[in-house]
Amino acid sequence: MNNEITLYVNDHPLSLVGTTLADLLEQLDKPTQGIAVAIDHEVVPKSRWATTLLADNMNVFIFESIAGG
Amino acid sequence: MSPLMIAGHEFQSRLFTGTGKYASADAMMASISASGSELVTLSLRRMDLKHQSDNILQPLQQHGIKLLPNTSGARTAKEAIFAAQLAREALQTNWVKLEIHPDPRYLMPDAIETLAAAEALVKQGFVVMPYVHADPVLCKRLEEVGCQCVMPLGSPIGSNMGLASKPFLEIIIEQSQVPVIIDAGIGAPSDAALALEMGADAVLVNTAMAVAQNPAQMSLAFKMAVESGRLAYESGLGEKRQQAVASSPFTDFIGSLS
Repeated sequence: MNNEITLYVNDHPLSLVGTTLADLLEQLDKPTQGIAVAIDHEVVPKSRWATTLLADNMNVFIFESIAGG
Repeated sequence: MSPLMIAGHEFQSRLFTGTGKYASADAMMASISASGSELVTLSLRRMDLKHQSDNILQPLQQHGIKLLPNTSGARTAKEAIFAAQLAREALQTNWVKLEIHPDPRYLMPDAIETLAAAEALVKQGFVVMPYVHADPVLCKRLEEVGCQCVMPLGSPIGSNMGLASKPFLEIIIEQSQVPVIIDAGIGAPSDAALALEMGADAVLVNTAMAVAQNPAQMSLAFKMAVESGRLAYESGLGEKRQQAVASSPFTDFIGSLS
């Protein structure tokens, strides 16, 4: 079964195969240390990444820590 | 020199620093090491999916430096609360430097939004360090809602104007039951020394170190100034007087010549 979905990651449309937030982060190939993820403006704790199911048209926001005063 | 306690955490250094405006991650680390700082601020932003950013977390963590995420970019209490929740996840800390400045020109902190956000974040278990104007009434209100310290400004962020708010900082220091950390505007080591001599518990310095021609050496200068100021405060400074008070005993040996 092809379970490709399209959602928005930091406002960019993205199609992916997979169903969980952890799948998405793996496909993005970004460091997972120092980042936080929110779906529809709710923070998703790291402990729930593997069990958080993604759906078509979801808005995912990924934040990273950067230098600042 | 006595250590500084904030929310049960002990700091030997009373100099907190930021990580912004450095030319490179290496320059930042050299500077922070020279400063002796044990607490540094970081920001959050939406990840750039196309580019890899500098990894500054790893070297900071390797040096055992405590991270203090800020809510910079938030314009309202609601945004700041969201930023704090994200930061808690990203950096695995419940400490947050609460800053809400909607106006990009002067970066003046919004007192009303800050107080509302502080109260909510304390209830959510955060150690809240609010960046505010040097407003003694607001600082007491923030203390009453459970902030673990207050961070009044010396002058506008990045302005290097020093302690322009000095008379109000003195009132805040006198009244506060929580540590007072003077943040923003500290442009020279002498500003930092003065802050500590006045009884401020710590200072937070970023721009003055990061944009110096020699950031690491400037950071060392700040370290020395902060230690000097604190030592002077703990030693008990003399009162200012209108008249001279002789440092040598008056003797009558000159009179004996006549």
